[in-house]
Amino acid sequence: MMRRLWAAVAVVVAAVALSASVANAAESVGSCILDEIAVAEFEGIEGQGFTAAKNLKTQAAAGDKHAEDLKEAFGDDLEGCIEAPNPIFPERTEIIWGGLAFVILLALMYWKLFPPVKNLMEQRTQRIQDAIDDADRQRAEAAEVKAGYEAELADAKAEAARIVDEAREQAATVRADLQARAEADIAEMRERAAADVEASKRQAIADLQSEVSDIALGAAEAVIGRSLEDPEMQRRLVDDYIARVGAGQG
Amino acid sequence: MAERSAGYADAVAAVARAEGNLDLVSDELFRVARALEGADDLRMALSDRQIPAARRQQIVEDLLGGHACDTTTAMVSMIVAAGRSSDLAGIAQEAVEINARDRGRSVAEVRSAVALTDEQAERLAAALSAATGHRVDIKAIVDPSVMGGVVSTIGDEVIDGSVRHRLSQLRDTF
Repeated sequence: MMRRLWAAVAVVVAAVALSASVANAAESVGSCILDEIAVAEFEGIEGQGFTAAKNLKTQAAAGDKHAEDLKEAFGDDLEGCIEAPNPIFPERTEIIWGGLAFVILLALMYWKLFPPVKNLMEQRTQRIQDAIDDADRQRAEAAEVKAGYEAELADAKAEAARIVDEAREQAATVRADLQARAEADIAEMRERAAADVEASKRQAIADLQSEVSDIALGAAEAVIGRSLEDPEMQRRLVDDYIARVGAGQG
Repeated sequence: MAERSAGYADAVAAVARAEGNLDLVSDELFRVARALEGADDLRMALSDRQIPAARRQQIVEDLLGGHACDTTTAMVSMIVAAGRSSDLAGIAQEAVEINARDRGRSVAEVRSAVALTDEQAERLAAALSAATGHRVDIKAIVDPSVMGGVVSTIGDEVIDGSVRHRLSQLRDTF
């Protein structure tokens, strides 16, 4: 790839150099002036060509009127070498050589430069297209992953909602159980308290009865004890016993 | 313990029969047993194995000598020497019953707060004989805890006419 590019650049440089050399082959203003100086001869001035021109310049600088006139006339002649170019059309030879060079350059570029550039562009286009496709694919994958994440998020939210609902139901159940248990405990405590009160009341009554009976029995025993001190009473008790045993009433 | 007491009673009865005074010996043995019931110190002294047997026998002979027949004294001395003075009441009861059986009679243990007169004892024996259907000998015991009236025990049967029993019934009624 790079080799083809460098070859194209070399062809272009060669074409430019070739066209420059062809252009230099035409007569220029400089060569015209040189030709005029080379053949110049001034009346009254020694020498020919460049020597004459040099001597003319020296005498004119010295204030020679004749030399100044000749120098002015020679300058006018040299201006004849300078022809004003056409502002629109170049020289015909320049057009020919330039067109030929352009054609050659175009052919060379079409032959050597365009294919690699075209390949380069195609490769770049393909690379860009691949990048775009890859980006599209990644975007699609990202969208798919996002959809998956969103689905998972939705599932997680649904699961969280379900767990919260279950927790609420369990809390309600536990609360109901605790309330029922507390009510049962309260009822049991009330029954137990009522039973305790009733038992305490019965115990108090029993204690009272026992105490009353003890007092009564104590009094009875005291009375009986005093009466039993009487021997006659003892005898009567024994006789009554014998009578009951004898009558079969023991 | 009942079997052991019965064994000792059989032995006592056998000796008394041999001596021909079972009636007397059983009665004296019964009285000695009753006397011991009311004498805690004496009963504990006769039951104390730390006291040599000869000493305990000497106590018995000192107490009964002249007041009981020789057979009774010898039997009580033998029982105390054997370390069975705590069983003396049961042995005496068994001996009395053996004697009564030999005579075709039953024995009634009669407890009263005051001593029965002879006339009361005869009438009570007659009444118990009539109630049980066979002749009954009574063994009278003065027991102040009875308070008043009489408690008669014939075998397993108890006829309780004591004031203590009536007060107990009255307490149960309350």
